[in-house]
Amino acid sequence: MRKGSSVKEQFTARMLRVHFGEDDRWQGKPLHEAILAKCSELGIVEAIVLRGIEGYGSASRIRHASHWSYSKDAPIQMSIIATEEQIAKLTPYLDAMVEEGLVAASTVEVVRYSRTTEQS
Amino acid sequence: MLQPGKAVKVTIYLSDGATHHGVPLYSSILDFLFFRGVAGATVTKGIAGFGADHHMHTEQLVELSDRLPIKIEFIEAREKVEAILGKLEELAGSGLIEMQETTVAKPAQLSKPARPLTPAHLKIEGKAQIMRIFVSEEDRWKSKPLHEALVEAMRANDIAGVTVYRGILGYGAHRRMHKDKPLVSSHHGSIMLSAIDSAEKLRAFLPIVDQMVEEGLVVFSDVDIVKYAYRALDTDKQEPAPAAAKE
Repeated sequence: MRKGSSVKEQFTARMLRVHFGEDDRWQGKPLHEAILAKCSELGIVEAIVLRGIEGYGSASRIRHASHWSYSKDAPIQMSIIATEEQIAKLTPYLDAMVEEGLVAASTVEVVRYSRTTEQS
Repeated sequence: MLQPGKAVKVTIYLSDGATHHGVPLYSSILDFLFFRGVAGATVTKGIAGFGADHHMHTEQLVELSDRLPIKIEFIEAREKVEAILGKLEELAGSGLIEMQETTVAKPAQLSKPARPLTPAHLKIEGKAQIMRIFVSEEDRWKSKPLHEALVEAMRANDIAGVTVYRGILGYGAHRRMHKDKPLVSSHHGSIMLSAIDSAEKLRAFLPIVDQMVEEGLVVFSDVDIVKYAYRALDTDKQEPAPAAAKE
């Protein structure tokens, strides 16, 4: 491990969790890819897309992933860590893009580790 | 646990075709009774019958064969029945619910002895925190995958439980997403570890995270522990079960 090569920052941020189905689309593209691209565009620091193996949601259907991991409507959960301002910019897009789903927000404390530029 | 003496027997009559959130209604009701701790319940399927709508439901009429009568029966103390009756009426919809006084002569015995109780020193209640660590799947710590090393470190530090998630897509402090090729292969996955324990224990663990994580994000949020079920084993090596929490 290259000790001392990492910078540590601590700040307060918001965490959004967006729940929808894997088959949901936005302009022909999987919805989670579209949201991820938007997060990246807004400079949001962290976003992860998780696929559940079973679940149900606002549509009140049981969703589950079949053996073919790409041919089902599995539940998707996106976790997005962003500042209050970035969330404010992202929310109108989420309103438009997520037709059926749930968005939950909470305030979180963040510790960020990043490599110093001379190391990378 | 049902005691000998006065009790109430509840019978719910449904037609088999009825569904609730996409599953057969009887199984929804059975789940509800199960999770509300009702002592026991039995579902029986009739072979013929008719209900309020006076349509005969029988197996011989093919077009009606999916609407055979279903009967759910359970016996419980009156207070318990009254506590769940409202929700039960809502679930049963158009079905009939009947109650009658009964006497329990002998309650059913558990087929297995009850599990030993949670060791007191491992009980976690009330306010806690959830610590999520976002790293990349290729990150390594002393030649082993970083997320595995973190799990081992947490276990060694008695963190109550941790779950590792592999994202199907993502980007973060540890990596940039390729705009032209957004689908990340399984070897370039985003990893999220989610650990729940008291704020003090998680804070005490943070210096270890400082040592191990070069690029990544650690996110803390407050949660209330609702239930912490611990599987007590006979051996000394005990594995904590994951805790349920709400934010």
